[in-house]
Amino acid sequence: MASINTPAVVMGTGTGLTKLGLAGNDSPSFVFPTTIATRSTSASSKPSKLTYLSGKSSNVASKRGTEDLDFFIGDEALSAANGPNYSLSYPIRHGQIDNWDHMERFWESSIFKYLRCEPEDHYFLMTEPPLNPPENRENLAEIMFESFNCAGLYIAVQAVLALAASWTSSKVQDRSLTGTVIDSGDGVTHVIPVAEGYVIGSAIKNIPIAGRDITLFIQSLLRDRGESDTSLRTAEKIKQDFCYVCPDIVKEFTKFDSHPDKFAQYMVETTQQRKVVDVGYERFLAPEIFFNPEIASSDFLTPLPTVVDQVIQASPIDVRKGLYKNIVLSGGSTMFKDFGRRLQRDIKDIVKERIQLSERLSGSKSTGVDVNVISHRRQRNAVWFGGSLLAQTAEFKSYCHTKQDYDEYGPNIVRNFSLFGVP
Amino acid sequence: MLQLQPNNLLIHTTLTERLDPAAVPLAIDRIVTDYDFTTYHISNLENKSQILVSMSIKCFPDLRKYGVDGVMAREYGAYVTTPEAGYDVSLLLDLETTSALSDAVRAELVEKVSYFKRNAMAAAFERAFERFDVLSQESVAKQVDLYAPENTSDEEILVLNYRDDEQIFIRPSFDRVTVIFSTIFKDETDKIFGKVFLQEFVDARKRAVQNAPQVLYSHKEPPLELSRLGVKQEENKGFITFVLFPRHLAPTRRENCITHIQFFRNYFHYHIKCSKAYMHSRMRFRVSEFLKVLNRAKPENLEVERKTATGRRFEH
Repeated sequence: MASINTPAVVMGTGTGLTKLGLAGNDSPSFVFPTTIATRSTSASSKPSKLTYLSGKSSNVASKRGTEDLDFFIGDEALSAANGPNYSLSYPIRHGQIDNWDHMERFWESSIFKYLRCEPEDHYFLMTEPPLNPPENRENLAEIMFESFNCAGLYIAVQAVLALAASWTSSKVQDRSLTGTVIDSGDGVTHVIPVAEGYVIGSAIKNIPIAGRDITLFIQSLLRDRGESDTSLRTAEKIKQDFCYVCPDIVKEFTKFDSHPDKFAQYMVETTQQRKVVDVGYERFLAPEIFFNPEIASSDFLTPLPTVVDQVIQASPIDVRKGLYKNIVLSGGSTMFKDFGRRLQRDIKDIVKERIQLSERLSGSKSTGVDVNVISHRRQRNAVWFGGSLLAQTAEFKSYCHTKQDYDEYGPNIVRNFSLFGVP
Repeated sequence: MLQLQPNNLLIHTTLTERLDPAAVPLAIDRIVTDYDFTTYHISNLENKSQILVSMSIKCFPDLRKYGVDGVMAREYGAYVTTPEAGYDVSLLLDLETTSALSDAVRAELVEKVSYFKRNAMAAAFERAFERFDVLSQESVAKQVDLYAPENTSDEEILVLNYRDDEQIFIRPSFDRVTVIFSTIFKDETDKIFGKVFLQEFVDARKRAVQNAPQVLYSHKEPPLELSRLGVKQEENKGFITFVLFPRHLAPTRRENCITHIQFFRNYFHYHIKCSKAYMHSRMRFRVSEFLKVLNRAKPENLEVERKTATGRRFEH
């Protein structure tokens, strides 16, 4: 079968962004918003009580023609939705697929228009969020195998792929699939413990602080100061280009006050005009909301290092050392300079305190706990990159479920996948 | 999206980005796919300003027989270079020379490279169409009787093994060119969707588009044109025949015709998949409607006879 030789397709569909690409590449070929613009249905058919009997007035059944092909995805969808005839929808909510019809068409276009591959010839690696119900996996398999006849499918948990992506870091000596993943995207931050490739579901914690909150926080600081441009776009640009994590917030404040040249300036250039926006304390204050959430939010007050510690403490005792030793960052909001260093220091402090307490109480000497936070160059697309890394290995295809398997056993085969990548 | 684009979007966007004179040359090493086991590899040759675009096509040995090298030289001229190991044909774009070009010329170059596969596949069709020109002129010269039974034995049939077990056959004749696709259906339902879809082709010709090429579909049985190639009949195989008449082969229409016909197989299978997706959405809709009916059909309050543990009835 020739599909053995074709590169596998790696598709990571998240709440905000979809990442498409081929295994073996170091970055996804396409990154666009997970959104679909469909032709808005006319309001002509009123819902009647008899709909279920006749089925005539249902929107789906009354379609004759090619309306089902009239849609756009990604960035094209955003621009199409500015027009009058299309309405935008986001088929994924909170990491899980909400509208399967839209998702099926989203993939249809992703595969045929963007990646330009015949799904019959390629193996697919799809990602799923932790705690995805098995029914969703089955639905996914139904679409991939029955609509698209894809040659083979592997569904991987995002956190596990993020761990695999960290193998590229020089700090990692052994390629283990045990570790704590801090995945911070645009909408939400997850802290996920993984032991030997299996996610410890009971210990996962979510933090409602992520990229969007940082942007909004910067925006509010700009507004308070009365800058000339306080758009969300400017705030986002400042976040990406200027922000960093400082070791000590008070010292940083005095440093800034004594050296005014630390204040950067950001040029906003539009086609009409040029504006200059000052960038001040928000350079280090914005990422600080991970460590001192009280400065931005009033309802969530636990700092990230404490959450990580709680997560590891909630995991089985025999894997805790491994979880402390391998704390992996993933997602765009962990890209701040020195983010990993600060996190490592804070978690170390917490751990040290606990060890000292237990040593005092028990009177015996502890062997010590290694705390290691791993940052690497592929952090932004860590999940996708991990997928690409695993899918290009020679044994990947033997771990997939193939179309033949699906036809033989039905959709419930995708409930289990054997783990790969463990030496 | 009713039609698949003949050019490769990713190559187009990547090269537009990279060839922009304002952009800083970056290291690049990327694999890009296309239909029918086509793989591109975009990489740097010696330094970051030299971009090598390589392509491998499954049926390249066949295309070489039909003069693809000439077509490549005609389309890409000086950009063609020695093929990279493992690939069939390579183009070398040097940022130093491309940045000297005007914007329009550069955009045209990028456009052309994004049609890489289309142009390679076109070689066989062009060869067949040229043969058609020769034959039709000969027939005028010799005053061939249009109604005489055709001598089928001597004209060469061009064969492209474009996928495993699937071929394109092109047979030039003095008054038409016949293009036959053989395609395999992986799934039983695909076969039925395909049949319905192709029926629509036949009907469309009857109703509205009279000047479309004639389309014939035969399942299992290879058309008679292929009898001397010894094509065997197979359970899952379908044969789709297009008959291109001189009006489709007019020099002005030729390019367009080649572009459309060579993507037919992808177009066909794409639409089979779309129809399935559409059927699935209908099915989901139906199921949810039925569930609503079932939920309404639940009895609201059941009158249950109540008994005590010992089995005695309550008296009203």
